[in-house]
Amino acid sequence: MDLNLSREHEMLRDMVKEFADSELAPRALELDNKGEFFWEQVKRSGQLGLIGVINSKEYGGTAMGHLARMILIEEISRVYPPMGFFHQTGNLLMYAIETFGSDEQKKKYLPALCKGEKVSAFALTEATGGSDPANMQTEATLEGDDYVVNGRKSWITAVDPADVVGFVARTGDKFSAFIVEKGTPGFEVTRREETIGLRSLPVNEFALTNCRLPKENLIGEEGRGLVCALTTIATIGRTGAAGVALGIAHGCYEIALKFAKERVLYGKPIAVLQAIQFMLVDMNVEIEAAKWLCYSTAWQLDQGKTSRDLAVDIARCKLYAVDVANRCAYKALDIMGAYGLSPEYRVIGLLRDALELGVAAGSQEIMKITIGATITR
Amino acid sequence: MWLEILVCIKQVPHPDHFSEIRLDVGSGHIIREGIPAIINPLDRNALEEGLRVRERFSGRVTVISMGPPQAQKALEEALAMGADRGILLCDMAFAGADTLATANTLFYAIQKLGKFDLIYCGNETVDSGTAQVGPQLAELLDIPQVSGVQEVTFSDEKGLEVRRALEHGYMKVRLKLPALLCVTRDINRPRLPTVQSIMEVVQKKPIIWKAEDIGAPPESIGLKGSPTCAAGVYEHKAGRRREIMQGSTEEKVQRAVARLKELGAI
Amino acid sequence: MSNSGEIWVIGEQHQGRLEEVSLELLSKGTALSQRMGVTLSAVLLGDEVEEVARELVFHGAEKIYLLEDARLRYYQSEAYARLLAGVIKEHEPQIVLIGATEIGKELAPRVAAKLRTGLTAHCIDLYVGEVDDAPHLIHVVPGWGGNLVMHIICPQRRPQVVTVKPGVLPKAVRDDTKKGKIIRVKPDVRDEDFRRIETVEVVEEPPKGKSLESADVVVCGGWGMNALSDFSKVQELADILGGAVAGTRPAMDKGWVDEARMIGQSGKTVSPGLFVSLGASGAMHYITGFMGSKVILAVDQNPQAPIFQMADIGVVGDLREVIPCLIEELKKDRMPKKF
Repeated sequence: MDLNLSREHEMLRDMVKEFADSELAPRALELDNKGEFFWEQVKRSGQLGLIGVINSKEYGGTAMGHLARMILIEEISRVYPPMGFFHQTGNLLMYAIETFGSDEQKKKYLPALCKGEKVSAFALTEATGGSDPANMQTEATLEGDDYVVNGRKSWITAVDPADVVGFVARTGDKFSAFIVEKGTPGFEVTRREETIGLRSLPVNEFALTNCRLPKENLIGEEGRGLVCALTTIATIGRTGAAGVALGIAHGCYEIALKFAKERVLYGKPIAVLQAIQFMLVDMNVEIEAAKWLCYSTAWQLDQGKTSRDLAVDIARCKLYAVDVANRCAYKALDIMGAYGLSPEYRVIGLLRDALELGVAAGSQEIMKITIGATITR
Repeated sequence: MWLEILVCIKQVPHPDHFSEIRLDVGSGHIIREGIPAIINPLDRNALEEGLRVRERFSGRVTVISMGPPQAQKALEEALAMGADRGILLCDMAFAGADTLATANTLFYAIQKLGKFDLIYCGNETVDSGTAQVGPQLAELLDIPQVSGVQEVTFSDEKGLEVRRALEHGYMKVRLKLPALLCVTRDINRPRLPTVQSIMEVVQKKPIIWKAEDIGAPPESIGLKGSPTCAAGVYEHKAGRRREIMQGSTEEKVQRAVARLKELGAI
Repeated sequence: MSNSGEIWVIGEQHQGRLEEVSLELLSKGTALSQRMGVTLSAVLLGDEVEEVARELVFHGAEKIYLLEDARLRYYQSEAYARLLAGVIKEHEPQIVLIGATEIGKELAPRVAAKLRTGLTAHCIDLYVGEVDDAPHLIHVVPGWGGNLVMHIICPQRRPQVVTVKPGVLPKAVRDDTKKGKIIRVKPDVRDEDFRRIETVEVVEEPPKGKSLESADVVVCGGWGMNALSDFSKVQELADILGGAVAGTRPAMDKGWVDEARMIGQSGKTVSPGLFVSLGASGAMHYITGFMGSKVILAVDQNPQAPIFQMADIGVVGDLREVIPCLIEELKKDRMPKKF
């Protein structure tokens, strides 16, 4: 058993860390304040080969795998979680097409998405909520060679900047997954939600009104849409959210540790106080535990295990890492006092981002239901 | 125009962790365990310059380093940035080298590698910062060299014009290839490796050469080949001095300036 | 230290202006020559620089080897190195001191490598001390970002060549009654010295608008600069010190510096050799931006200001008095003299 990262993974981490520290960190606060989508950074990420890590080389990906993706999302989210979260949601459709899509779809969409020249979104949730997908109302009906789609998707990340959107609709008594391109008549982004965290990533609602999509836009077979969506969300969404959480936890820890070493009270840095040390220790240990939970699961995905095999593992990662991120953010605030509330120190921003992760890619409770149902079986 | 380009790099401890470097009082050895190592920052500028020249004309970029086995990581990183081949000079016989012995070691390796049109070095390292190995190597190779290089312009196939830094201004120097240039951070912004290039590094592992592989005479390398040696290493008092100057305004200022001079700050 | 060879200082001049470091080398050279009972000489290369040579005499050199030629007007890499190595071989000094300037850092290793002898870089001090019961010239060198100090010796080969960090050692005192011998050495300047490499232009410019990150000195003004009603004194001080200007967040809010020059948590982090903080109390988010500086000088009117806990050297006082006084004092000290 070898728990060392491979040399390539180490080098990837070094590279992403430098990218994050030198190119993202100096602008993170400004980008977050503006709340605008970060196209420039996405293109740069594409150039570096980071967006296509789970896609095959044949279609412009770099095929480095899930552990690589976990590491890069973690390192990016340490300084700029919205960008990390983009790597979560942006990869969903890319994975769905790579795994379930046709050759034509792969050729048509994946290269530009891998390069970061185009971006994608993926939509399952409706106004009724995302935890009960079988109850969705959006419907696609075959008319000749086209599907005609009607319905509305809510709480979907980054539809506004997306060039192409994947979604799931009811086809008869089953569900199917489709691709819709920006500009298709009948497709309209109808709303941007106010969100507390991850502010550079818009959360949108969009409507499909008599939207005609050719048959070629069906991902995989008709009737297999829910399998496609749930596999994608578990494999990519939950692991991605866990990676973002890991990064946030790490970021909070680094900031708080530096602060504690530098902040002098009673003539000494507060880091020498055990009350402060205990909080730092809790963060340190929990982050290490979360990290290995996430890495081992990502590694198993790389070994060929599926999200079905790893349903509990993936749920554990997301559940625990997100909890750790939130706890670390609060502990950092406790250590830093009033400074923690200043956006300059970034912890308050990381906390807001961490709060958003609770509901992303399946709520914390859904994770518990998944684990609970299995262990009591 | 095909150019054979050599870039000399050194693996150094990360400067953010210099404060963690401790002395073993008994042996006088420097303890740098657990301190992350990186390519010396200016050596990355040197490599970037070599890569850009290769991309502009054509040629091959060889990266060379002398160091312990773990310095292989620095070469792997250089390969990931785009170097064509990497050579690590690694042998206990090289240990304890001062800058002349280091330059000698590189000199013998270069004799084995063949002719180079351009050799790039970082102007200095962040650890010892002598800025000596580049000019010493050039002298041994008997080729022209410039330190403090901020800008390079190719005037023709074999000619360069270089802008080099001075304390209060700059100097323009014309030189002919083959030449050795020691570059500063002003010259470029080093690229990051990409995921693709990182994955390709697995196929181009650095070559490791020992003293006998490069035919270096034992008396010219390592401790034996070093005219200078360390007689002692001492820890510098850390922490701030918190000296408040006393007296009239003039006296306070004069004392402050005098102290700054003593501390080598001005 | 049995050798009776001379101690040499290599004078550095640009367009007839002597680098200050040459005077610093002469003060150390004088002390060492007296301690060792040998002659202190200086070497000067250039074109029509006899006046500069006399300055070297006034500052303590007993002999000057003067190499003048029209083609040596600028520093010329190969010509200077070859000629210098030539006179060293001929006269066999035991110690050669060179300023660790931009030029000195290139010239010294070229010369030392030609002679296959020892070279120590950017010393901050030199003295004769005992190592294993034998006297040696101890070269004191900072390393590892200044956290460690190394003592280097050159036991066998001669001369031992040493570069000395400019600005560290005191300058020799000028005494124009001092007498010394100026020995003219006819330099054998050859065409081939310029065939492969030639300095074609030297541009002297005041170090203005230096980038924060590369500056060795950063002068940072805070809210307290309000007392002087403008920020120009910060710039003046930075110019004298050859450093870069920066500001605190309040200074940026005032519009005195742009965001790219703001020091602190959400701004730039710098770690120069000298950080000068003027009129800033030392708020946490500010001091994190320069904690890695080697030496910190703080000026503020409030003796209780936390900045003084963070500083090496503190001056408490009214900025309207302290800053002009500091500028005058540094001007006296720093301005290159025209001879």
